[in-house]
Formats: sequence, structure tokens, C-alpha cells
Amino acid sequence: MNSDLNKLYMIEKTQKNHTPIVEVTHLTSGYEDFRVLDDISIFAPEHQITIILGASGCGKTTLLKHLIRLIQPWSGSIRLFGHEITSLDEPEFNTILKDIGVMFQNGALLGSLSVAENVSIPMEQHTSLKEDMIRKLVEIKLDLVGLRHAIDLSPSELSGGMRKRAALARAIALDPPLLFGDEPSAGLDPVTSAGLDELILKMREQLGMTVVLVSHEVASINRIADHVVFLDEGKVLFCGPLKEAKTAGIQKVDDFFAKG
Amino acid sequence: MNARVHWSGIDISLEGDITISQVSHILKKIKKLLIEHAQTSITIDLGLVNKIDTAGVVLLETIEETARAKEIEVQWLNTPKSVKQAIQAFSLTPQTMTGRQKHKASFFEIFGDWFYEIGSHLHDLFYLVADTFYYAVNNLFKQHGKRKGEFTNQLILIGMNALPIVGMVSFLIGLILALQSAAQLRQFGAAIYVADLISISMTREMGPIMTAIMLAGRSGSAITSEIATMVVTEETDALKSMALNPIQYVLVPKFYAMTVAMPLLTVLSVIIGIFGAFVIALTYLDIGLEPFYNQVVNALLLKDILTGLVKSVVFAWLIVILGAYQGFKVRGGAAEVGKATTASVVSSIFAVIFADSILGLIFYFGQPVEI
Repeated sequence: MNSDLNKLYMIEKTQKNHTPIVEVTHLTSGYEDFRVLDDISIFAPEHQITIILGASGCGKTTLLKHLIRLIQPWSGSIRLFGHEITSLDEPEFNTILKDIGVMFQNGALLGSLSVAENVSIPMEQHTSLKEDMIRKLVEIKLDLVGLRHAIDLSPSELSGGMRKRAALARAIALDPPLLFGDEPSAGLDPVTSAGLDELILKMREQLGMTVVLVSHEVASINRIADHVVFLDEGKVLFCGPLKEAKTAGIQKVDDFFAKG
Repeated sequence: MNARVHWSGIDISLEGDITISQVSHILKKIKKLLIEHAQTSITIDLGLVNKIDTAGVVLLETIEETARAKEIEVQWLNTPKSVKQAIQAFSLTPQTMTGRQKHKASFFEIFGDWFYEIGSHLHDLFYLVADTFYYAVNNLFKQHGKRKGEFTNQLILIGMNALPIVGMVSFLIGLILALQSAAQLRQFGAAIYVADLISISMTREMGPIMTAIMLAGRSGSAITSEIATMVVTEETDALKSMALNPIQYVLVPKFYAMTVAMPLLTVLSVIIGIFGAFVIALTYLDIGLEPFYNQVVNALLLKDILTGLVKSVVFAWLIVILGAYQGFKVRGGAAEVGKATTASVVSSIFAVIFADSILGLIFYFGQPVEI
């Protein structure tokens, strides 16, 4: 990122507290000729936990992939921290990515590295910290997610829940102001799932993060969500506070919470 | 209970279990009846149907569609509640999502798609080559974006671990070539030229190409499967989300290791191949070490050695880039990883042999024959 843009970015980060951290406007996209997201507009407020929810196949994960520019939209705008990311070049976008932690659905830990090495990647690559300092920070992050004992294990030796927690530790390695997560509680037992939710709440409290998660676990949504985005067949049915979603009188939203 | 079809003129009665094991038999019989008794309407009595499953529901829909196609009206009689419920439960719901519209493609569309696909493969390959060389140079001067110790790790995996197989195969190739040529050359009293023949052929051709083929099978496939698995398990996406380029972080260390390991392994292959030939010279042709050594040294030119080394570096780049290309373009699951690995080995070996012939032409075309 060039220095002017960097300066602008820092000013916006400190001054525009009420600006939505994530803002998507008229986004349309899909795979080849298959339309997945159809003219959607959403936002995620700062310091809040926003959950993108909806039935399987409604485009939740595709939307999340757009937010970290893993896929390019057909049309529309995506703004992170006030910056239009669809038109940024790679070095500029990489600077923004350093302020974002991403937790993938199955962890996406690098199989050839140990848990500690996985968590240390962002620190090794984007800071000039010494090895012993990085090791300490890795221990702290793993301690936060309750995985300090697994520090030298390889990802293949971890259970599903442990892998997700390790992925969370890697996602928060640089204490990013924005955390994205794809179905953090999916496939976990209720106790582990609740533990992971508490951890996300703790991260938000301690690090003041803005969190955007994809989920369809109603129990988890009720526990942690402040703000929800309800997707249905590629369109937005609701975008606003969780309490309002439940009283908005939208049939599909009501059914989702009633049957979930 | 087995299903039975009773008919009397245009009235058909279905009885018993209309389940998956009975469906083909019933459909065949009803189609026959519709052909034999062409009418404008028929009645089908379901009153004695005992049980119906998903296939049974599809059967009823198929009967109706078949009859409609023949302009025959079907009247369903005495449909039991259980059958009505099954129809309601198992019938296809109307499609609301905008799906991909399939239509029969014309010749020009097929040709256009094929042309477009080749174009996009070449485009992606070109970008991969450009990115790989860009980051390979970039990584020499920058600390960011590379993994500590990964080059050494890859050098051990690609180079050192391949030593035994490359050594063994090269020894046997040298041995076999020497044995075959010795049998011919000794008839003319030219047995000593086995040393010239083997040293030149191993240095110019057999050393680089055999090493490349072994590394394509061994390391090229490993590169593809590793990268493909990383793509499938979203590890490459995770790297991108951490502002790391997968080409820079994953591929470049392999590129370096292959670029260093291949010429070293080729040199080793040539030396061991010539040693194989010496074993035959010593045991079969009674040629001692000194005359054999002198013959090899006199036969080999610096150009031969450089040709072999240049070829080995080109082959290394082809293997690593084609292996990575096949890995990065994988979409889907485990089966795709297997297919990509096979494609990588086949395309690498083909590319190596093709490049060898082109390089052979470049290095030796138009060169006067020395007598």
C-alpha cells in the first residue's frame, strides 16, 4: 500500500468509529453462469458480532469469500475499513489483509507444519519479531483457545474442535480488528460449540474485534450475534440487529429460528 | 407382496407393492399395453396397492407422461391415502433457483468452448510461469513471503532422497547400453569406443532425460498432490487470507530445490552411468581403468557437459511448473487430486521429451560431422 493510502487508512480506522467496517453494495456474483448472490447489500457494524445466516446453499460462504477477495464479483461494491477492495491492487489489499483474521470451515491448517508453526505464520511473515518473542505469542494465543498442550502436534493429530480452535488462534495471531469465520461451530458437539462461542465473545471483549461469521447453528447465533444478515437463495431477506430479525415478521426468518 | 398388473381392455389395475424392485417390470408391461390397446383414455385402479416407495411414485409419473405423449388420458381410480401421501412427499418440487440452462450445443459452440478452454489453460500457465520466475527472483532479495528452512527441506526431499533410485537406474542404463554396444563394436575390433559411446550419450541425452523422467514421476507427482490437496482443503485460501502468495510461499522453495537438485542429480547420473559402462568394459572387454578413463576424457567436450546441464535445468523448470499448474487448477475432492497427479506425470514426461528434441535441434542442428 502506498504511504498516502496507508495514512488515509489509519485516519479512517481511528476516526470513523461508526462507519460499518464491512459494507457490501449491490453485489452480484456466481460461478461460471450460475448466479449465487443476486444484488445483495449488507453491512457489519464495528465492534459487533455479525452473523451471516441462512439455509445451506444460500450463498453464505460465497459472500464470505468475496469479503476476503478469494473470488471477484460480477458487479457491485465491497468496502472493508472504508476501502473499495474490488479495485485495490495486490500490495494494497495485502496491507488490509494484515488487519483481518480468517478462520476457515475445516481449519485449513497447513498439514506440513505443526500447530505452533501454523499460528506463527502471520507473525513471521508480517512482523519483525524475534523467534523467542513469536514463540511466546504463539503460546499465549494457544493458551487463549485452550490448546497450549497441543503446541507441537501436527494438524492431523487434532480433533475437529481442536483444529477449529487452532485456526482461531492463527486468525487472531496479529490481533486483527476484523475477524471472519466460516461456520466455526459446524460439526461440533454442543459443549465444544458453546466453548468456541465463548472464546469468540472473549476475543471481541479483550481485543475489541469486529467479528463476521457464517453460521446456521441457531443456538450459536442466539449466544453471540448482535447483528444478523439473513440470506435466502442468493438474496438478503434481513440485515440488522438480531432482536429485530426475530420480530420483523419475515416468514422464512421466523421458520429458521423456530425450527433451528 | 409382489406387484401385479391386471387389465381388461382399457382398464388397468395395479396390485401389491409398487417398489423399486417391481418398477421396471410394471412399466414394461404398461407400455406394452398402451401400444397394443391404443385408446384415447385409460383407467388405472390403484385400490389394491399395498405399498409404494419413491421409485413407485416416479413410475406413476412416468406412466402419465408416457400416456400423455401418446395423447392418451389417464384416469386414476381408488387411489389409497398412503399412495396420495407418498406422491405428495416424493414428487419433485418446482425449481425456484436460477440454475444452469442445459441445451444441446452446436458444432461451433463445441469448437468455441474447446478453443476457449485451450486459451484459458495457456493463459493460466503463462501467468503461473511469470509469477514463479518473478517470485523466484524476488525471494532472493526479500525476507517476506518465504518459509525459513523450506529450501533445505525441499532439497532433501527432491534431491537427496532421489539419490538411490537415480543412482541405481543410471548404473543399469550405463551397464545395458555398454553391453549392447560392446557386442557390436568388438566384432570390428572397436571395443574401446564403448567408452566414447556411453560417455557422450550419457552426458548429452541419457543422463538428463532419465533423471528428468525419474524426478517427474517422483517429485513432480509429489508437488502436484501436495498443492492439489492444499487447494482442496482451502490451505491456499488460508495463505491468501494471511496476505501470502501460495506461489511465493509454497512453490518457489520447490522451484529453487528442483533447479539445484536436477543438475546435481544429472551429473551423478552421468558419472554412475559411465561407471556402469566401465564395469562391462572391465569384465566383458578386458579394458582397464586407465585406457577407459583416457578414452572418456578425450571423447567428452565441454559443450557436451554444458548441453546436459542446460537440459537438466530446463527439465527441472518444466517438471516443477507443470506439476504446480496441475495442482493449482484442481477443483473438487480427492478424486481430482489423483487425476491431477496422473496428468502432471504424463504432461511432464511429454514436455521433457519434447523439450529434449527441441534442445537437441538447437544444440546440434547444422553441426558438421567430425570424421
